[in-house]
Amino acid sequence: MGCERHGSGGGSLLEILRPDSLEAARAALKNGSVALAGGTELVPLLRDRIVETDTLVEIRHAVPRGIQGTRIGAGTTLGELEVDPQIPDALREACRLAASPQLRAMGTIGGNLLQATRCWYWRLKYPCWLHGGDRCFAREGLHREHAVFANAPCASAHPSDVAAALLALGATVRTDRRELPIAELYRLPTGDDRRMTGLEPGELILELEVPMPAASTYLKAMDRKRFAFALVGVAAARSSEGTRLALAGMAPIPWLLESEEALDEATPLPGNAYKLEIARALIRRALAGVGS
Amino acid sequence: MARLIRTEKEVEGRYTEQWIVVDEDVLEQWPAGPLETVGRPVPRADGGQRARGEARYTADIKLPGMLHAAILRSPHAKARVRRIDTARARRAPGVRAVLGPETEPLTGEPAYQGAPVAAVAADTFAQARAAVSLIEVEWELLEPLLDPEEAIRRNELIEEPSREKRGNVERGLAEADAVVEAEYRTQTVLHNSMETHQAICEWEGDDRLTVYISTQFIWGVRGEVAQRFGLPEDHVRVVCRYMGGGFGSKNGAGDYTYIAAELSRATGRPVKCALTRREENLDSGNRNSTIQRLRVGARSDGTLTFLDGEFVNATGWDGWLASTGGPMRLLYACENVRTVEYGAKLNTPPMAAFRAPGFVEGTFGLECLLDELAAKLEIDPLELRRRNHSTHDAVDERPFSSKQLLECYRRADPHWERRDEVRARSDATWKRGVGLASQVWYGGGGPPSYAWVRIGGDGRAAVITGMQDIGTGSATAMAQIAAEELGLPVDRIEVALGDSARGPYATISAGSSTIPSMGPAVRAAAADAARQIIEIAAQRYDREERVLSLKNGQIVSSDGGSWPLEEITGLLESGQILGKGSRGPNPTGMRVLTFGVQVAEVAVDVETGEVVVEKIVAIHDVGRVINPLGASSQVEGGIIQGLGHTLSEERLLDPSTGGNLTQTLDAYKIPTIADVPEIVTDLVDVPDEHLTNLGSKGLGEPPIIPTAAAIANAIRDATGADVRSLPITREEMLRGLREARERRREPVGDPAA
Amino acid sequence: MPELSINGERHELAASVGTSLAHYLREDLGLTGTKIACNEGHCGACTVQVDGVPILSCITLVHTVEDREVTTIEGLRDHPMVNSFVRSDALQCGFCTPGQIVSATALVAAIPRPSSEEIKHAMSGNLCRCGAYPKIEEAISTWQD
Repeated sequence: MGCERHGSGGGSLLEILRPDSLEAARAALKNGSVALAGGTELVPLLRDRIVETDTLVEIRHAVPRGIQGTRIGAGTTLGELEVDPQIPDALREACRLAASPQLRAMGTIGGNLLQATRCWYWRLKYPCWLHGGDRCFAREGLHREHAVFANAPCASAHPSDVAAALLALGATVRTDRRELPIAELYRLPTGDDRRMTGLEPGELILELEVPMPAASTYLKAMDRKRFAFALVGVAAARSSEGTRLALAGMAPIPWLLESEEALDEATPLPGNAYKLEIARALIRRALAGVGS
Repeated sequence: MARLIRTEKEVEGRYTEQWIVVDEDVLEQWPAGPLETVGRPVPRADGGQRARGEARYTADIKLPGMLHAAILRSPHAKARVRRIDTARARRAPGVRAVLGPETEPLTGEPAYQGAPVAAVAADTFAQARAAVSLIEVEWELLEPLLDPEEAIRRNELIEEPSREKRGNVERGLAEADAVVEAEYRTQTVLHNSMETHQAICEWEGDDRLTVYISTQFIWGVRGEVAQRFGLPEDHVRVVCRYMGGGFGSKNGAGDYTYIAAELSRATGRPVKCALTRREENLDSGNRNSTIQRLRVGARSDGTLTFLDGEFVNATGWDGWLASTGGPMRLLYACENVRTVEYGAKLNTPPMAAFRAPGFVEGTFGLECLLDELAAKLEIDPLELRRRNHSTHDAVDERPFSSKQLLECYRRADPHWERRDEVRARSDATWKRGVGLASQVWYGGGGPPSYAWVRIGGDGRAAVITGMQDIGTGSATAMAQIAAEELGLPVDRIEVALGDSARGPYATISAGSSTIPSMGPAVRAAAADAARQIIEIAAQRYDREERVLSLKNGQIVSSDGGSWPLEEITGLLESGQILGKGSRGPNPTGMRVLTFGVQVAEVAVDVETGEVVVEKIVAIHDVGRVINPLGASSQVEGGIIQGLGHTLSEERLLDPSTGGNLTQTLDAYKIPTIADVPEIVTDLVDVPDEHLTNLGSKGLGEPPIIPTAAAIANAIRDATGADVRSLPITREEMLRGLREARERRREPVGDPAA
Repeated sequence: MPELSINGERHELAASVGTSLAHYLREDLGLTGTKIACNEGHCGACTVQVDGVPILSCITLVHTVEDREVTTIEGLRDHPMVNSFVRSDALQCGFCTPGQIVSATALVAAIPRPSSEEIKHAMSGNLCRCGAYPKIEEAISTWQD
């Protein structure tokens, strides 16, 4: 079991490990080292020093990649999923409308689920609640892109289109230590634990099991035609158990919605109530689109 | 013959009077229409170099021993540096110099977020940045002034308010059968040129300086830098062969230029100071936001009786008052006009000229206002424009040097007539409509500008200039002009540019003025060279000069003889023919303006507020078009920037701290290729017969001006919604739709109706 | 010492870990055709191909492309797409153009005659502030002419 290591000659303290198996990766992912897949999220966060580490573990060769029936390797890129005719429509459409072609070619589905919020205060490192402070600058300031559900104490919105699609599809996540429904991957942050996922340190997402629905769709409202995060993303999937709705961009985590009426329980802020109007329309269209 | 004249020159809406030495412009204009090369589509001469990545921009230049600068910028909108300690930074790896607030333009009293406070030069940019983070600063936080209306209340203004009037607005109000009053708002827009602001400074001794810089004005940088350091101007060399966009933000030297020069002086090595994209969005200028309170009155037949506007510009900590009231004063015939323009001095980053400064914002307000008037009077919007067409300058009654606006309207008719057809394609979700807006802008450029033409023994011609080509393709246009005058194919012309040491003074590439200013100088220089060739040929072929001309690489005699040009130039061996030319004066007593109209077709999803612009027809009167290929690119580019201004771009500041929240290109959303509508360009290519030996008025800015209003008016046509605020985001569109629905539920006016 | 393959040529990789591919190409190899305009993955100016797939070199760590083939604009200089861009005037200031051409050549390798929709979708990650988009689409539509 091998692990190439590249240290730096040029004075930086960063090291990159390249394990060639899952076991090697698990061993490498200890003591604060961070997993690197496509890097589209991690590299900018490292550069901004929002994430800090001495050791990157390239997991490209350690994590499954590819689509086999309803199993999708976590290392599969969004670009690969975008053109696959077999996966559910909602997932394919969520991939197709995400980011840009280059980012889709680089970014993996596993990484996409774990991306952080685009909240401008958080990204610009304001000392906000999510960074461990005690105020939410968005609640008090500008929040047109932010959450309308569960938005206290933190109004950040979860940007992943793919996560919303998988939530509606009822996908299961298999990590290197357990299996869990995707809904259980996410948690709302609390005062004691401000993370959005319940993954243990070093825990790696390996695969997604995505059951085939009778019909599914993903609709996305953004500020320009392409290459933007969801103001509102609506995923709908109809199966024998009924129709499930999930939202992107509306809560700090991907949000399962009981019904269109559940929108009435939202707690919008003055600057983002417009999202509910868009959500209503997209939900109706999505339900019609899956024949509900 | 040289003359000293006083002439008026306009750049970005500001007129200056100057004394200049000019040569008489004795060349007659060419006849209208496509010629041998002028008026024909020609691909960019340096397109291959740019496309293949061979072109070296300032961002690509690396000098031996070059250091990199990084800047400590104030994170606060208003603060004072109580204490600063650079000791740890000085000791950091690779650091060669550190400058503190005592060195201008660094400041210990930063008055906006992003103002430069300290700077470091180090072997690598990463080292410089790391060192900056080691500078310890104790800030005293002060209360920033962020609200433009509050600034006006407190009389915190960037300059005296501009108050203009003609006639009597109260009389106009009394004569009006209908009055419309509305408030319009436009947002702060950031240039976001793809190449950020950057300069490399290299001293030779302590009194000669070379500046490589991404700039729109080589000669302006030269003058500013020379003045700053007390140097004779010809001890400063400014180089800009390729640059990656400016749009007005790079009209002169900036803090980054002086920081590079100071660090270079301190270290004895060349220093590059290049802004990161975030710094670019923090502190490299912006189109300031505006609040416009406008009123218009008209008789029932649509003739305007008065226009009245109050314009609040959130100028920022520095800058100047952009002419937001200009369109209201200039565009239409109206006897009674009053405009008051304020420039609020705020603790926000200073504005900078951005493609038609003031006029983009002001045309949005004015042209939406006029459409609201048309709706109230139940007059066709295009007809309303026609009825208020001015035949001479509305401000000072000078005649126009040329005005083809009625022709623009005529060409708009067939597109305008498709309104019903477009509306008919609406369905329950998507409502479609058509809107228009017209525009006026300053044109013509002015002196001085100079060019030399050098022809060698190989029969090739070089046009030697000190100009810059900021991406408009102006260098190619110069080649076409010289080729036309010399009777040569355009590929035998080389245009040298981008170096103040290599050529004579050239005008700024801003204000749509490069071709109208440089072009005539190039033509004059080529004509001078052509005259000399003909003088020689007359002797060589024993003909009178007046029967000889240059055409298709030949010397042609009207009696039928023709000889290849190489027979004459071949006589030269190492000799050269040198022609020189300068930009003649502007037409006296006339106003040089460009005009146009755009027609927009839009579709609005009335449930989600999505706005899709499906088509824009752009009809502009810009005088003679030198290169229709480059010209249509300018039109498309202006419209696409206008589209971004209209739908998706906005710099946002946190309301309590003044912090910029849209520093990145994912938060600040410029259009992608997927957002682009069908664009139809129709240029009224009629030379301005009074203007120089070319008749070209300049077209860089006109296309961006009416786009927002055309789209907003199309939205009103489609949905009945009034959108009076840019950008037209989802929330703004939904608000407008909601308001329109509520208005329809409550009939206004006669309850019996 | 790790090695890279850039435009078919092998280079020894001596950069420190954390160096981006864009920085390595420009600074270590002097291949300045690849431009950096935002340095955080938002604009596409830095696009290069890795095994023929367009990616963003500014957020790709150079140590992660060791076993792959990197193609930059310098490696595409003879592709007919370059002349098509020049003919169509699909550039203005030119700073975004190398990245555009890298994406465009990959598109037509997969779809030789892409539709307008396909072009807009595939090129939506390459921003152009000058607004050369309409002619970029034309250049891609006519590249074989």
